[in-house]
Amino acid sequence: MKDPANRSGGVANPFTADDLPPIGLDIDVLVGRYADRPGPSGEPADVAAALAANGIAGAAVANLRAALFDMASGNDETAALPGPGVVPVGGVDLRDPLGAEREVVRLAARGFRAIRLFPDDQHVEPDFPSVRHVARRATEAGLVVLAGGDVRRFWRPLRGATVVFLDTHFYHLGDFVVVARDEPGFHTSTRLLNSPDALETVLAQLGAERLLYGSRTPLYEAVVPRLRLARSGLDQAARAAVAGGNAHRILGLDR
Amino acid sequence: MIIDVHGHWGPWFFSMEVGDVATNLAVMDRYGIDLAVVSATEAIVYDVAAGNRAMARVLETSDRLLGYLTVNPRQLGNAERDLRELLPSGNFVGVKIHTDYTGSPVDSAQTREALAMVAAHDLPALVHTWGSTPLDLAQACTDIPGLRAIAGHMGADGWRHAVEAANSVDRLWLEPCFSHTRTGRFAAVASAVDPRRLLFGTDATLIDPAAAYGAVLAANLPAETAERVAWRNAAELFRLDLP
Repeated sequence: MKDPANRSGGVANPFTADDLPPIGLDIDVLVGRYADRPGPSGEPADVAAALAANGIAGAAVANLRAALFDMASGNDETAALPGPGVVPVGGVDLRDPLGAEREVVRLAARGFRAIRLFPDDQHVEPDFPSVRHVARRATEAGLVVLAGGDVRRFWRPLRGATVVFLDTHFYHLGDFVVVARDEPGFHTSTRLLNSPDALETVLAQLGAERLLYGSRTPLYEAVVPRLRLARSGLDQAARAAVAGGNAHRILGLDR
Repeated sequence: MIIDVHGHWGPWFFSMEVGDVATNLAVMDRYGIDLAVVSATEAIVYDVAAGNRAMARVLETSDRLLGYLTVNPRQLGNAERDLRELLPSGNFVGVKIHTDYTGSPVDSAQTREALAMVAAHDLPALVHTWGSTPLDLAQACTDIPGLRAIAGHMGADGWRHAVEAANSVDRLWLEPCFSHTRTGRFAAVASAVDPRRLLFGTDATLIDPAAAYGAVLAANLPAETAERVAWRNAAELFRLDLP
């Protein structure tokens, strides 16, 4: 990330990290924009540059256009993104369950491996029928569900699905663990598991196969979960799994 | 040299096992943090008097931890007594005020009175800030002679208010810890305020230092500024006699 020899006028920069692991596949990347907030830029070229600068070779990319405006054109944009490291993820709009069920079928036919839910952005609550319905249709179509929202509430409509919870905060990790014990398809992103023992707790309670590196590039600093992984108590094999192996497995990319 | 100006010792009520002082030291070692200024979680969330005394005992066991004496603005009698009894150890170098756990907003009468008490003791105060409340803390600095305050979390999502606050008064410092490490947050603050007002704080052992450390890394600061953030500003603010 930073040249350890970064010096100016004889002063060495105390903040260095030369042990950041390469990331094979980041499960949480976005392109597109929010109408109500300034940057950072979600232009695909800028996102690709941010990923490259952070040692991220592959990314499961969803498009805010699909989440906030129009599913079909947004997902078509995503499918057309250049780069061998791009794994397109279909954004679905839970405010439109009829459109979402059609889109799930269309995405599966196009070869998408996963859909992404944006309940917070769409002001959708976990007990809205749309959530359970779309998750069921995605599971029937063989798609992984990448789910935003509070894991303490969204676990219920997503039972039985293969899910990566993208917003699991370490405050809520205990709730994730106890429900994931009963749900072998439940996984979590590492993005907000930034307490001193959160990764180690998942390792001990569930196994490293439930952890997937997620950065939410370009909106969050990708170096943070990368640094946390580098300084974790996970061994090299587990770190490699978190850094991409697990994502490849659940998305079926290693078949 | 790195000094963490926002640390805690003790257990938290979440599913995490971070209460031993050995965890503090291990987490510091993960990131090359030499010194941490810590407050007792018990004093913040439950019993200020008992927590401060437990903190005092722990500080006797490590030369890498310095103490914040926690002040609950709703219990200023306890605060006067704790300051009188615990400051002579020399192990407490500042005061911690958590505005949420004590139900005492920065602009409340009791917090203003607490801050005046802290200023009278010529100690820096680390104050929990969120949203626009760094502006309230800046106003307190303006109104209370000699008050030196750190805006803990630099307002979290309200970091733009923290910039305005730091630029409005010369006795307010900012530290970045926040579990939601949004892109460019620390870089934007560092580019907009006097570099002498920037500190390094992590919230460990609640938050792993990866969050704050990564945010500073991503800001790609000039080396002189990074050194100020890492320790020089903290050493000056806390008047530390470092080798």
